[in-house]
Amino acid sequence: MDLPWLPLALTLGPTGLWWSHLLVTVGVYALLGLSLNLINGYGRMFSLGHHGFWALGAYAAALFTRSYEGELPGPVLLALSAFFGMGVAALGGLAIGIPCLRLKGDYLAVATLGFAEIVRISIQNLPEGLLGGNIGLSVPRVLMEVEPATRGTFLLAWCAILLACVAVVALLVRNVVRSARGRTLLAVAQDETAAGLLGINPTRAKVATFVLGSALAGLAGALYAHYQGTIAPQEFTFLEMVKMLLVVVLGGLGSISGCLVAAFLLIYIEQALQLAGQETLPLGVPPLPASWTWLAQWWSVVYALILVLLMVFRPRGIFGPRELPEVLRAWWRRRRPGEAAR
Amino acid sequence: MTTPLFAVECVRKCYGGLTAVCDVSLELAEGDLVGLIGPNGAGKTTCFNLITGADTCSAGRVLWEGRNVTSLPDFRRARLGLARTFQNIRLWADMTALDNVRAVCRGSEEAGWIDGLLRTPRHHRVERLVTGKSLALLARLGIERFADTRAGDLPYGPQRKLEIARALALEPRVLLLDEPAAGMNPAEKTDLMRMVEGLRRDLGLTILLIEHDMRFVMGICERIYVLDHGERIAHGTPAEIRRDPKVIAAYLGTESPC
Repeated sequence: MDLPWLPLALTLGPTGLWWSHLLVTVGVYALLGLSLNLINGYGRMFSLGHHGFWALGAYAAALFTRSYEGELPGPVLLALSAFFGMGVAALGGLAIGIPCLRLKGDYLAVATLGFAEIVRISIQNLPEGLLGGNIGLSVPRVLMEVEPATRGTFLLAWCAILLACVAVVALLVRNVVRSARGRTLLAVAQDETAAGLLGINPTRAKVATFVLGSALAGLAGALYAHYQGTIAPQEFTFLEMVKMLLVVVLGGLGSISGCLVAAFLLIYIEQALQLAGQETLPLGVPPLPASWTWLAQWWSVVYALILVLLMVFRPRGIFGPRELPEVLRAWWRRRRPGEAAR
Repeated sequence: MTTPLFAVECVRKCYGGLTAVCDVSLELAEGDLVGLIGPNGAGKTTCFNLITGADTCSAGRVLWEGRNVTSLPDFRRARLGLARTFQNIRLWADMTALDNVRAVCRGSEEAGWIDGLLRTPRHHRVERLVTGKSLALLARLGIERFADTRAGDLPYGPQRKLEIARALALEPRVLLLDEPAAGMNPAEKTDLMRMVEGLRRDLGLTILLIEHDMRFVMGICERIYVLDHGERIAHGTPAEIRRDPKVIAAYLGTESPC
């Protein structure tokens, strides 16, 4: 019998693969959200160019892997290419950050957006031998080949890798925000003039944060490239930027747990919608049975409804600037007096 | 003649056709407690902005121990030992009171971004030192019980005190207070007067303050500069200022000839 909730359990059955694929995608967006949260949330800078750093990381990791394929053991190559992707994205962040972070608000948004478009269109228009142009670039499989027999292991391995990376990055973001330098960033974000007059170098705090955020976006790019196996410039469009922004804003600007919850809620549903009706899926993941097409038909309504409800009831994001434990504590405190009255 | 700790020479600030501050000179010697007064719009806060580098001078020089710091950016001037508070409170509202002070406080050792990211021993050392110093400053101002309160949620009085604690975290030599007593009742003002005198005595600070409350200014300042319409119209001891006809005219107006 085809129980509708059965696929939710991450089994290795055909629908289980489908859900695992979604989970990896959620992981990538969680990484992107966390890194964008540093810049747009904690730093209160309005960057619209995060997809550019994502693309830089992805292409740098792809090129690195292609040049060292076979010369290094798979996991080492994966790790090194990820670091290389982060490094290139960080350099990009530095190159853009130094001139642009003197700009504020809308001006910064336009400048960073311009940068990301330059990255994408350059990739598209460079000779195909270099970056693959419009067709895209294939990334050699360094961990294992994807065959029907190993597909389950492959997806589970990537779920684990993404989960680990998201956990580490969340910890790093928390660490940096609660450190001496992190406090200078928060100060600059909240009142730059006061920060400058009290001995904090605003440009330095902003550029460092921007570079760190870019590097982490580069990590997301590198992992994405390895997981997908091919990357093309059409995947790094402004639409992706909007999705990242949704994750950050709806999760709560300046909330790590909010970011993770929002990534799960929004991207899972969005991807499920997008992929439910498709016949061919990436990595040879089998499509859902035809009896599941109602997902595609109705979830888009649910998705839109979630956005509307969030904007009405949680205009400052799911958690606002707070973290999950704080939200729960506040909620608990609100409930207690009511119980006492009863 | 010894070089003053801090001096402003003929600074001027023009906004388009309006001259907000015109050729004003001030001098502060080590340990001075000096007032800067004048009617509303006289250019007192603009003067502070020029001194601290929040605004650029159209003309004139700012000297620190005889060294020209006019072109130094604000944060570098602050690190020389020049701290200020703001007329309209400018705390970092979403940070706790303790973090407001810790953001400014620096140890002898500095922890970089990497130290914070990876939680190195240096991070922990600096964190312990800075937290201890900051808590001591909050205690000195009598607001240590608000350490974990969001700065924006503090009552008005503690907010003003937190601004002073935050400025002191710079370990300044010169402290500029912009209307520290604004909005306080007479009892609070008396407390504040004692506190300002105490800070000067205990920390060896040099203080320049803008204040509208004459009892406050006359009560604690040794010298007073008076500004009106962007120009320095008088300078002297409180007793001299009180009798100065130009000052009386600026505050009360003169009989018009017609």
